Amino acid sequence: MDMLLSSPSFAFMQVLNSISLGMNLFIIAAGLSLIFGVLRVINFAHGVFYMFGAYIMYTVSKDLQLGFVTGIIAAAAGLSLIAIIIERGLFQWLYDKEHLMQLLLTFAIVLIMGDLAKIIWGTDQLSVSYPEGLAGATNLGFTFYPTYRLMLCVVGPLIFLGLWLLVEKTRWGRLTRAATQDMEMLSALGINVPLIYVTIFIIGSALAGVGGSLAAPINSPTPGMDATIIVECFVIVIIGGLGSLWGSFVGALIYGFVFNFGSVIVPNWQDVFAFLLLMIVLLIRPWGLFGKPEREGH
Amino acid sequence: MISVFRSAAAAVILASTAVSANAEIKIGVLYPIAGTGAVYGTPAMHGHNMGVDEVNAAGGIMGQKVVTFARDTKLKPAAAAAAAKELITKEGVDVLIGGLSSSVGLAISEVARQEGVVYIATIPKTIQMTTKKLHKHVFRTSSHTDFEGDAIAQIVKKLGKTSVCDIQLDYAYGHDLAAGIEKGLAKHAPSVKKVIDLRSKLGATDYNAQITQILGAGCEIVTSGLWGSHFVNFAQQAKPFGLFDRVTYISGGEIASHEIAGKMGKDYPNNVISNTYELWYDHSFPGHKKFQSDLAKRSGKNETAMWPVLAYIGVKFIEAAGNKAGTMDADKFAAALEGMTIKTPVGDRTIDPKTHQANTGQFWGPMVKKSGVDYRVMSPVTFYPATLD
Repeated sequence: MDMLLSSPSFAFMQVLNSISLGMNLFIIAAGLSLIFGVLRVINFAHGVFYMFGAYIMYTVSKDLQLGFVTGIIAAAAGLSLIAIIIERGLFQWLYDKEHLMQLLLTFAIVLIMGDLAKIIWGTDQLSVSYPEGLAGATNLGFTFYPTYRLMLCVVGPLIFLGLWLLVEKTRWGRLTRAATQDMEMLSALGINVPLIYVTIFIIGSALAGVGGSLAAPINSPTPGMDATIIVECFVIVIIGGLGSLWGSFVGALIYGFVFNFGSVIVPNWQDVFAFLLLMIVLLIRPWGLFGKPEREGH
Repeated sequence: MISVFRSAAAAVILASTAVSANAEIKIGVLYPIAGTGAVYGTPAMHGHNMGVDEVNAAGGIMGQKVVTFARDTKLKPAAAAAAAKELITKEGVDVLIGGLSSSVGLAISEVARQEGVVYIATIPKTIQMTTKKLHKHVFRTSSHTDFEGDAIAQIVKKLGKTSVCDIQLDYAYGHDLAAGIEKGLAKHAPSVKKVIDLRSKLGATDYNAQITQILGAGCEIVTSGLWGSHFVNFAQQAKPFGLFDRVTYISGGEIASHEIAGKMGKDYPNNVISNTYELWYDHSFPGHKKFQSDLAKRSGKNETAMWPVLAYIGVKFIEAAGNKAGTMDADKFAAALEGMTIKTPVGDRTIDPKTHQANTGQFWGPMVKKSGVDYRVMSPVTFYPATLD
């Protein structure tokens, strides 16, 4: 706490720490939120998708030495393929069923993919090197800050912008938004709703993969890494509002700031404030800061 | 005709006696074998199974075959306690062994106390287990946080630095290691100043707030017990800040083990001094070469992990105590363990009859680059015996 008040560069570092953490989490949480917004599926398997993204990055960049960017592309492609298999093979049969069935299915996927990861990559904690040029620190004039973290501070908003333009400014985006309102009407108008669904699931899952691949140099790919991230993502999307892109973005930033400054100011209570915030939001505005109240009869 | 019946009856009695003699010794083994903890539990099970196979090949315990009932602790105290209870009440195990994290170890120990079954903790390190939470049926063959903290303090003294930052995980092991380091510093290096105490939650993935606080505090040494993926994440996040160029990082938590150094490869940071129970490339103690060779065959890799030796030693204590007691009755078995000495691939081990703690020392040293391999090795290797006097 003293350092925060006495050292502006230290305080600024905490701001950057908060933004970079928030942006990494946003990339993952946005996928979770997007899938819920359109498909109305609470995908518990999203964390395990993130874990697969990190492992794919390890295989591509460290084992195969094909480079970091190739690792990101491979993670996105790999998770897209998994998404097609899961959505077409499993989810499409459960859209009409109650939420409990969907939850159980996603939980089963968590267990199956978790064991699959152990069979493929083993149980060791792995490490992924920083890409060339991003391993060191950047001189910001009054302090140095890790270049890779700065990159996350830039990539997060770019992904947000890309998603926002896609959803708000394209015909496909309008159809997607319409699908969230009245899927049957859209179908009656001759729109291929299943195609919209599978595409959304691919984008959401690929975001988890990209988030995992980007996290790999700072978060060791290891069994069980999905359990932590899924909790953080749910906190973010509940604070921001399930299904809202803006909500995920702002929720992730709030989480980043609360977690980082909480760790500095009251280190023994670092987790409490994020969950306290979650409780307050649930009590006062259960649909989240940017969400909309659930309609009856969906 | 009567003699034929007598012979047949005698044969039946003998056969039933033989069945009784061939009854099994049941070991309930508790490691995390799925999820995050599998990274430790899986190799520990290799060591456990190797030990059990050796015992059975040598005729078992009291001539009876040893069988294992393995359960996943899920790295959670509640799950471990439930599994321990189930092993005792349903499977009827004679002895419990294993545990990984300190909180899990304490949970299993509590079940052992309630049920009157001996528990040998092979990995948990919290000092509480053999001090204020000691009971007549709990024994520990791993090291503990006071031994570890004392070794860290001795290394701090050797380096001749004056200021220390401490970062630990916020649970039993982290708190107890911090206390162990404090005690050690008071004894070996009383002039060293503790600048900052930091805690991170178990399972934490982001350490930027702590890293920047350490940098801001300006200490010369960082003492720690961040283990496994906690250390990998901390190191990967701290390197771009230049932390490892500014401080010497002295850590418990066995981050000098080959499973960490080998997997991190060239990502392993500079200026790290740490510990391990065993090194596949160090044959300081008699019997280690054969142990390592057998383990390599079993695990299918030459560069073996550290965790198997802990589980293996636990099984060897069960073998020795069972044969000495001549029974698996908990009280008599526990009495046999008290004061017992066995030979292990990493030196002789004796269990203190009062504290039920084995004198388990560890290898400590700086992690350095070595030509020809792409991972760090410990050099020089120094064995710190488990003594606090």
